[in-house]
Formats: sequence, C-alpha cells, structure tokens
Amino acid sequence: MKPITVTGWSVHLPGTDGACPPEQANTLLGRKGLLMKEPATRLALCAVHRALNMGTGERKDGPADPGTAVVASSNLGNVETVVDVVATVAADGGKAVSPMVAPNASSNVLSGTVAQWFKFGGPNLMLCSGRDSGAHALRLGALLLRSGRANRVIVVGAEPSDPVADRLYAKPLRAGAACLVLEHSDHGVSFSQAREHARGIAQTWGDCYGAQDIISVALAVSALHQEQPA
Amino acid sequence: MAPWARQSSGGGVVAALIAASSLLTCLGDGERTFASLLKGITGVGPLRHPVPGPINVNAGYHIPGRSMDGYAGDLLSGCVTQALADARLDLAEHRVVAIVGTGLRELAAVEQGNLTDPERLHFGQSVPGIAEVMTIANACSAGGHALALAQDMVETGEADAVVVGAADVMTASMLAMIGRVAEQPSDQVRPFDKDRPGVLLGEGAAAVVVVGENWAGPKLAKLLYTGLSCDAFHETAPDINGICRAIDEAYARSGRHPRDTDLVLAHGTGTALNDPTECEALRRSVIAYGGNPLITGIKGAVGHMSGGAALANVDVALRCMSGGEVPAVAGLREVLPEGADLNIVKDAPATHAPKLIQLNAFGFGGVNAVTLLESA
Repeated sequence: MKPITVTGWSVHLPGTDGACPPEQANTLLGRKGLLMKEPATRLALCAVHRALNMGTGERKDGPADPGTAVVASSNLGNVETVVDVVATVAADGGKAVSPMVAPNASSNVLSGTVAQWFKFGGPNLMLCSGRDSGAHALRLGALLLRSGRANRVIVVGAEPSDPVADRLYAKPLRAGAACLVLEHSDHGVSFSQAREHARGIAQTWGDCYGAQDIISVALAVSALHQEQPA
Repeated sequence: MAPWARQSSGGGVVAALIAASSLLTCLGDGERTFASLLKGITGVGPLRHPVPGPINVNAGYHIPGRSMDGYAGDLLSGCVTQALADARLDLAEHRVVAIVGTGLRELAAVEQGNLTDPERLHFGQSVPGIAEVMTIANACSAGGHALALAQDMVETGEADAVVVGAADVMTASMLAMIGRVAEQPSDQVRPFDKDRPGVLLGEGAAAVVVVGENWAGPKLAKLLYTGLSCDAFHETAPDINGICRAIDEAYARSGRHPRDTDLVLAHGTGTALNDPTECEALRRSVIAYGGNPLITGIKGAVGHMSGGAALANVDVALRCMSGGEVPAVAGLREVLPEGADLNIVKDAPATHAPKLIQLNAFGFGGVNAVTLLESA
C-alpha cells in the first residue's frame, strides 16, 4: 500500500494572501448557488476550490464521484442561523422563516454542501468536537483511506466570525478555512510528516477553533513542499 | 463472495461484534421500548419543547418527566454507563475511543441562552471514563456513520473497542423548519402510510459497544458492515442512486446476499419524499436480487430520534433476533401505493427470528448509512 500523502492543499484566511471574505465568495466560486449559504460554508467551499486548483468560477458537473469522501470540521458554522430562526419565530411566527434556510438548521450543512457543490459521493462526515474537531477530522480522513472506503479524502475545516459565534466563543475568533486532499500516492507531501511538522508551527494568524489544526497542517504541507527537490 | 469483500489475515471476511447495546426513548429503556413496540403503543404526545411563537408543530415524542432545559448529553451518559457495564469492558485494559452521532448537538441550549461554554456544544463531557470522544453531526444518519467508523477503527487496530453513542433532543429551529414545510400539523409519524402527515421529533439516546472478532466477552450480534454514501444531489431531498449505493456497498463488502435478508428496519420517516424513495430503493437493491424481507420501522412509536435513529434500530434489531418477534409499524393505517408489493409488517407483530437484518438511516445533506447485522 502506498503511503498517505497530501496531493492538494489550501489555506483560506480572509485578509491574507488575497483570500476573499465569505460575502465575496462569488469572486472565486461564481455567483450561482451561494444564496443563503452561511459564511463558514462559503469559506469551506473556497478552501476546497483552491485546494483542487480550480479556475475562477469553474464548476464540477456530471455524476457524483463515489470514491471521494469529505471529512469536515466546524463548530460554530450554523449557530447564528439557529439563533436567528428562533428570533424570527418569536417576532413574526414560523411562517416568516424562509424554507431556503431549512438546510442550515442541520449541523451538517457544511459537509453536505461541499459534497453537493463538488460532486463528492463518498462517505461524508461532519466533525463537531470542539477544539479537537480538526484533529479528529485529520484522523478520520486517514482512516477512510486505510479502510478502503475512499480513494481520495477532502479534509476541510472552517469557522465563521459573526456576532453569535463570537459571543458563544467568548474569545477572539478568526474566520478562516483550510483544506487537505489526502490519497494513497507516491506523489505529494507525506501526511504523517506534515502532521509532525505542524506541531512546530507558530499559530500567528489567530484562533480558528475547529479549523485550527487543519490550517496548521496545511501550512506545514506548504513549507515541506517548498523544501522538496523539484 | 463479492470480489472486493474484505479479507482478514486469516483469509476469512473480518467482522466486528456488538458486545452491548443500551437505549433510551420516550417509551423507556430498550426492554420497555421493545415491549411497547410489540403492543403497538406509541409515545407521541403534545409538544412540550418550548417554542417562542406559532410553528405549525404541536406533537412530539418526549421522554416523560425530562426537563426541557436539560442537555442531550445527560441522556447519553446514562446509556454509555449501562452499555459499558453490560459489555464488561475494562477501560483501563483496552484502548477505547467514543464516537457520538448527533443531529442537533446541544443547540437547544444555545437557543435557550443556557450554553456559555462552546466545549459543551459537543459530547466530550458526556461519555464517562473515555478521554477521546469524537462528535459527528451527521444529521439523521449520524449513529449509522458512527457505527461504520467504529468498525473501521476496530478492524484496522486503531482501537480495541469503540463506544458508539448517539443523543438528540429537539431544537426550536428544527421544529420551525418541520412546521414550515408541513401542510397541516402532523398528529403522529405514520411510516409507509398512504396519507402520512409528516415527521415529528423524538428525544432519546443510545450507546453500543463495538469490539473485534476476538472479543471474549458478551456477543449480541455480528456487525457485518455499514455502507456509507453521500447523494451529492440535494440538501434535503433523498436520492435513490445515493441510497442504493450505500445498500449495495453494505452487501458487497460483507459478502452477504440480499436474498438472505430476513428483515429490514427501515428509515421510514413518514414524510412525502422518504417513504416512496425508500420503497423503490429496497425494490432495486434487495427485492430485485431475490430478497423478500419483512420490513418494519419504529418512528411511529418513538418519533424521529435524529442522530439516535440508527442506534435505536440496532437495539430493536437485537431484540427481534433474540425474541423471535418483529413489531408492526405503529401508526400505519393503509400502506402507500409505492409499497403495496412489499412485505411491510402491519397491525400485529410477525413471528419470526431474523438472522440477517438490514438497518437504514438517511439524513439531511444526502448522507446515507446502511448497516447489516447478523446473529452471533
């Protein structure tokens, strides 16, 4: 069995290296389909789009690819929606709630949207384990490859920064996302080496909570890739 | 055997085992729930969950006496403690991980303004004695996804045992969404009924202990395989192709044939879209291969337990195996036309001790988990 390697990666921290904020995700992804998508979902879509080296506005079409799995990590992506829906019901009753918001009431809206957007038909997991969430996503991403459930795994972490999420987190929260594409391959950067290297990376960009560990590993991959002989 | 069926080092197909199962529903613990199912008793009642305005939902499946500002994790802790005791699993002797499936996490506490620590949104503090707790928010098939990962961990040697948990209470936001798309308020979940009025939520929790095939303790059943797929098609509507991929994978990877299946514990949410789609999926992936299993579902009695739905089905399946009776679908009056040719258990329990059982769980986001259990 070939080793698990990272064959694609991205870090999407708005305000850094030209990364667009969630409300301008259309400039990277194209306009269609973003209505009612929450900021964390938009950031995750941007991170995956960039990790796959897709062009501006480029879309996947055709049938779902059953060999590609998604393992996402986010804790606060839909808390603002949930609180807003309750406020709307209190103010104007249930009929005032838009049915378009319905998918966002479910905590797996982020991972499901990534699958639907990019046509990933393999196992789809939404980790919401708090601070450890990113580490769990990385572990389960490798597990899905080892157990033969997928031949490619998209690991993506994203957190928003909005009034509800910020209040709940009670510490400065940095909105951001990162993505790793994992495969059994002879090419790319060793996944285990990247995880090891990530331990030594100073987390200077702020606190992205459930996305933090995935951002660290993506930055480690980037550093290791630059060291590799061409 | 299917060409891609998994091989253990000894040459046989590897399988995990279920060492213990614990359940809590609106009808009580696993034993009481099953007894009520056999009698056709349903746990539906007036909606007690606090909602701040009219939402077009007025019924639910509540655990009697539960405080409406309590945490789902409190329900989970009791189930985990019971399952660990029943399995006689020594946490000091084995490498044990917990994977908890949930639809709505502790979002009810966020809505009610009670949650001030973000680390209480997940179930890390709700699994006594286990340090590593993964919370998987995979909607209505979360428990099935957790089962799949537990088996993978045990088979790859990443863990000696995995405690698979699930827990959900209701959220006002999800209730509002259910009411928003319902024509009339649903009086009861009526799976596979011609005039099904729609889904209602059920509170509850469950825990299952998954171990490897060399386990020397109690063995309730073989956990053969859980097929996973994502429709990648629509956020809330089911897709038959995605569902059939999960079913087909479960059979192919476990080396079992659909014609040998005795019972299907259906997802059966009693919604306009799920039930006809599920009937067609069973025709395409089970009946078409010569299978003619009994089909039943429990949501008419316990409501839709969201992340706990798949594990509730596991507990009921184990009791069908050991007790030789299969409960009828509670709330079912007249079978929907799309299921008229299927062997749906109606009105009275069927006397049958199933050996091979298929458990369906499908969720928002098009996430599907189809589990095969076999008597040990």
